[in-house]
Amino acid sequence: MADLASRITKPEGAEAETAPAQETTGTVEDAQTDGAGQILGGSGLQDVNYDVEVSLNEIQRDQQNPLGSAHTFQELGLPNEVLNGLMAMSFQKPSKVQEKALPLMLADPPMNMIAQSQSGTGKTAAFVTTILSRIDFTKPEQPQALVLAPSRELARQIQGVVQTIGQFCGNLVVEAAIPGNIARDSRVKASVVTGTPGTVMDLIRRRQFDVSQLKVLVIDEADNMLDLQGLGEQCARVKNMLPPTIQILLFSATFPDVVLRYATNFAPQANQIKLKVQELTVRGISQMFMDCPSEVEKYSILCSLYGLMNIGSSIIFVKTRESASEIQKRMEADGHKVTALHGAFEGSSRDALLDEFRQGRSKVLITTNVLARGIDVSSVSMVINYDVPMKGPGEREADPETYLHRIGRTGRFGRVGVSITFIYDKKSYEALQYIAAKYDIDLIRLVPDDWDNTEKKVQRVIKSSRAQAGFNPSART
Amino acid sequence: MADSSPAPRRSAQWSSPDQTRFSDFLSDDRNSELNHKEALAKARAEHDRVRDEAVRVIRLHEHQLELQRLREQELHVLAAQRKEEERLLREKKLRDEEQRLRDLEAQSIPKLPPKPPRPPLQEAAAPQPIVNGAGPVPKPATAVEHPGIASTAVPFAPLPTPSAPQVNGHASKVTETAPGLTPTAPSPFSKSTSAVSNPFTQLTPGPAVNGSTTAAPAQEVKPAIPSAPIQPLVAQGDRYAEIHKNLKQLRAYLLEQTKSNMALKTRMGDMRREIRKSLGQLTGGKGANKQQLERIKGLLSEALSGQVPSALVDPSDYTVDKREPVEGAVHNAPQLPSLFLYLLNALAKGIINQFINECGAAPRNADPVGVIAAQMFSMKDFHWRGKSLIDILMAKFRIVCPVVFGYRGSEKTEQGRARLGWKKEGGAWITEQQHIDRMTGLGVGYASLALRDFSRSPNTNPWPPSRYWTTMASIVNTPPAEISNTQCVVLKSMIQLYEEKFIHLYGSAAIVALRRALVEFPGKAPNNTPGVGGLQVVAQMYKRDLGLDLN
Repeated sequence: MADLASRITKPEGAEAETAPAQETTGTVEDAQTDGAGQILGGSGLQDVNYDVEVSLNEIQRDQQNPLGSAHTFQELGLPNEVLNGLMAMSFQKPSKVQEKALPLMLADPPMNMIAQSQSGTGKTAAFVTTILSRIDFTKPEQPQALVLAPSRELARQIQGVVQTIGQFCGNLVVEAAIPGNIARDSRVKASVVTGTPGTVMDLIRRRQFDVSQLKVLVIDEADNMLDLQGLGEQCARVKNMLPPTIQILLFSATFPDVVLRYATNFAPQANQIKLKVQELTVRGISQMFMDCPSEVEKYSILCSLYGLMNIGSSIIFVKTRESASEIQKRMEADGHKVTALHGAFEGSSRDALLDEFRQGRSKVLITTNVLARGIDVSSVSMVINYDVPMKGPGEREADPETYLHRIGRTGRFGRVGVSITFIYDKKSYEALQYIAAKYDIDLIRLVPDDWDNTEKKVQRVIKSSRAQAGFNPSART
Repeated sequence: MADSSPAPRRSAQWSSPDQTRFSDFLSDDRNSELNHKEALAKARAEHDRVRDEAVRVIRLHEHQLELQRLREQELHVLAAQRKEEERLLREKKLRDEEQRLRDLEAQSIPKLPPKPPRPPLQEAAAPQPIVNGAGPVPKPATAVEHPGIASTAVPFAPLPTPSAPQVNGHASKVTETAPGLTPTAPSPFSKSTSAVSNPFTQLTPGPAVNGSTTAAPAQEVKPAIPSAPIQPLVAQGDRYAEIHKNLKQLRAYLLEQTKSNMALKTRMGDMRREIRKSLGQLTGGKGANKQQLERIKGLLSEALSGQVPSALVDPSDYTVDKREPVEGAVHNAPQLPSLFLYLLNALAKGIINQFINECGAAPRNADPVGVIAAQMFSMKDFHWRGKSLIDILMAKFRIVCPVVFGYRGSEKTEQGRARLGWKKEGGAWITEQQHIDRMTGLGVGYASLALRDFSRSPNTNPWPPSRYWTTMASIVNTPPAEISNTQCVVLKSMIQLYEEKFIHLYGSAAIVALRRALVEFPGKAPNNTPGVGGLQVVAQMYKRDLGLDLN
C-alpha cells in the first residue's frame, strides 16, 4: 500500500488535463434543455441554472418513454429506506447532476452510464442511491455492488456514504476492500464493497470475493485512475472477471480523449452525461494570493490569516514533511488543533489521522499532496497553498492541475470557500502566474503589512464570490 | 465508517494458563494441530459464554424498555386528556381575547414619539441606509408577525387558528406602538409569554410540568403586566432589530474614534481578529478550549479596564430592558467603554458567523461555540447592572434567523422570504441550498447556546432553556397553512444532537414536546417538503437508535 500512496502523491498524467471536456459527443437531447429551477414559483425569484448535457444510447433513444428529470427524490420511486437516508443527510432535493443522472441510472432494465462529474456535485450520493435501490437486502453477505476508487481514503469515504444513506436499510453490510482490511483467510461478506482496484483484483483471484451476483459496478474518478500507472488496467481486469450483465457506472471529472476511449470501451452502450461548462466549478471559491516578503515570514503570516475571516476547518498544503512539522508546532503554540498527514504515515494510521480531522477533533490539516484529490470534508472553508504546487524534474514547472484539485477541497456543495496561495520569490510568483493564466483566474493580491486593510479586502472578496457561488454547478439549487 | 470487523485473531486467547498448560506451552509439540484445536475449542466456548451473557442482558434490557414504553404511553394518554380540556378552555379564552383586541382596536392608541438617538452616535449614524446584511428588510409593518404568534407562546395548545385576515392588521399596529418598552402594551402578548416562562423556568422534570403548564396560563387571563420582565417574543424581536441597528452605529462610531485615537487604532483590529481566530479554533472535548476562553476573557477585560482608551457609551442602547443600578453588580455606572461593547459585538458576530459558516456543514462543531457563548455572556464581570448583555448576540440572531423568535413567512413571496431571514446577496436571493445550510447551522447553534445546564455554575444562565422551549413552541404551534420549510429545517437542527440535553432538562415534558415537533407538527403540514420529511426521519432515528418511540 505504500506504493499506492506514493503513486497518489505524484499525479502524472499531464496529458489528461489538456482538454477540459468541451468536446461534445454530438447529440444533445433537446428535451433536456433545462427547465428546472423555476419550480419554486413566485416570479422574480432567482434560481441557479446551468446545463447538464445528456446523450442517450441507441436503445434508450428508441423508447418512447420520455425521459424525465426528477425534481424531488420522491419522484424517483426510491425505496422508503433510501429516501429516509437521504433526508437524514438533509438533502433537500436532487442536485442538477442527480436530477439528470438518477432517472437514467435507476431505469429498468439497467443501463450503463458514463458521467462527467466532479466530487462535490452530489455524484457519490447519486450512485450510492442507485446501488441501494438495486440490492437485495435478504442477502446481506452476498456481494451485489462494487465501487472502485483510486485511493484508500476515497474508498473509505464512499463506504461511509453508503452506510449513512443506507442507515435505514435494515440489513446492509458494507465492506472496504483496501489493503490490510480483509484477512487472507476470510471472505468478503458484504452486500456492498468499496475498494481500490489492486486489492479487489487480488481478492477475486484468491476467491475470497464471490462476484457471481454482482449487479452494479461503479468506477469513480476514472481520469484519476488512468493517471496512476496501472489502476486503469487493473479496473479493466476486475471488470473481466465480473458477470457480463453487470450495470457499469463510470464517473470522471474530465473527459480527454484517453479517458473517453477507455470509458466507451469499458462501459459499452452507455448513456452519457456531462456538465456543459466545466471550469465553473472553481467559482464560488475566493482565490487570493499572499505576497510574502520572504520565506521565513510565511510562518507568522500564516497564523495571522486565521483572524481575517471565520474559518471552520482548513487544509494547508506544503511541499515537505519538515515544513509540515514545523508549521504544526507553530500553530499548536498559537492554540490551533492540528493534524499533520503525509507520506510518513501509512495505512490505518493515515485513516486515523484523517478521521481526527474529519470529525472535527482537529481543525487544521497540514499535508503534502496525498490529499489533493477526492477527499470531501464538508466543513473545510479555507485551503492554503503554503507552497505553490510544482511538478516535473527538480520541481521546476508549475502544476496547475494539482492546484485545481487542491482548491477543490473547499467550497463543496455550493458552499463558500477561500483559497490563499503563498508566494515569496520570483519563481513562486511566476509559477502562480502561469496557473492563473491557464485557468483565467483573477487572483486577488494580499499584502501582510496592514492587517486592517487586508481583512477588509478579504471580506469583500468573500462577499463577491458568494454572490457568484449561485452559479456554481456544484451548488444544489 | 470504521472497518466493519477486525481481522480475526491468529492465536487463541488463553484465559488462565494452568500448570499443565504451562508446561505444554514450553514443550516441543506446542504447535501441534491437536494443541491448536484444543485452544480453538476453548476460545469458542468462551465466545459462546460471552455471547449468551450478552443475549441475556439484551433481553433484560428490552424488557425494561418495554415497561418504560408502557409507562410513557400511559403518561401520554393522561397528558392528552389534560390538553384536550385545556384546548377547550383556551379556545374560549382566545375568542374573548380576540374580542378584546377588536375593542382595543376601535379605540385608537396615541403613538409614542420615536426615541431620540444617543448624542455621541448621532453623527456616525447617518451613512447606513442598508439595515443589515440581508439587504432592505422591510422593517415595521411587514416584518410584524401574524396574529397566530399571540398563542404560539403557549406550549402546545392546539392552536385554534384566528384565521380572520383583518386580525393581521391589528397585530401589526399593536407591535408598532409597543416596541418592547411600553408596559401598557395590549395584553395578549405579555399574557401568553408569561404563561410560558413561568412553568418552564422551574426545571422540574416529570409530568408535573405538564400539569402546571395547563394551569398557569388559565389563571393568567387578565391583561395585568407580569412582574417578570420577560417580554413577548415578537415585540421583543422588534427591540432586537433596534439593537441591531444601534450596534451598526456603534461600529461606525468606533471607526470614527480610531481616526483621532492612535492607541485604539493599533489595538482594535488585532483584538477583533484575535476573537475571530479563537472562535475558529474551538473543538469538542473537555478542557480543549481553555486557551481560547482565557484569550477572549482577557481581551474583554482589557477593553473594560480602559487600558485601551475609548469613549463611554450607554449600554441601554443594547439591552432589551431598562436597567437600574443593582446592588452588588460589578458595573453599575450609566456608561461603559465603547470598545468593550464593540468587542462583545465582534464576539457575537463571530459566534453567529461560526454557526453559519461551519455548523451548517458540521453541526457537531456548534457545541463548543455555544458553550463559549453562554459562558462569556454569563460572567458577572461582563454584566451591566447585574444582568447579562446577551441581547447583543440575540439581536443578531433575530436578524439572521427570525424563525427562532417566532417569525413566519412564505418562501414563495419576497416579503415572506425576508421575514424568514432568507439572505439576499448582490440583489438576489441566495440559493435554497445556501439558505438551508445557514438555517441548519443557526438552528443547531441556537440549541448549543440555549440548552446549557447552569445548575452547577455560580453564574446565572444568560439564555436559559425556557427560551429554547418558547422557540420550539412558537414553531410547533404555527397554523398548518403557514408552515414553511425554513421552520422545519430550523426545528430539526435545533433538536437533533440536542435531544439528550433537552430530555435531561425537561424530563417527560420533553418527550411530549418531541412528539409534537417530530410527529404531529410534520403531520399537520400541508406540503410534504424536504424539511417536513426530515423531521419525520428524526423520529424514526430515535426509535431505531434510542428506542424512543414517539408515535
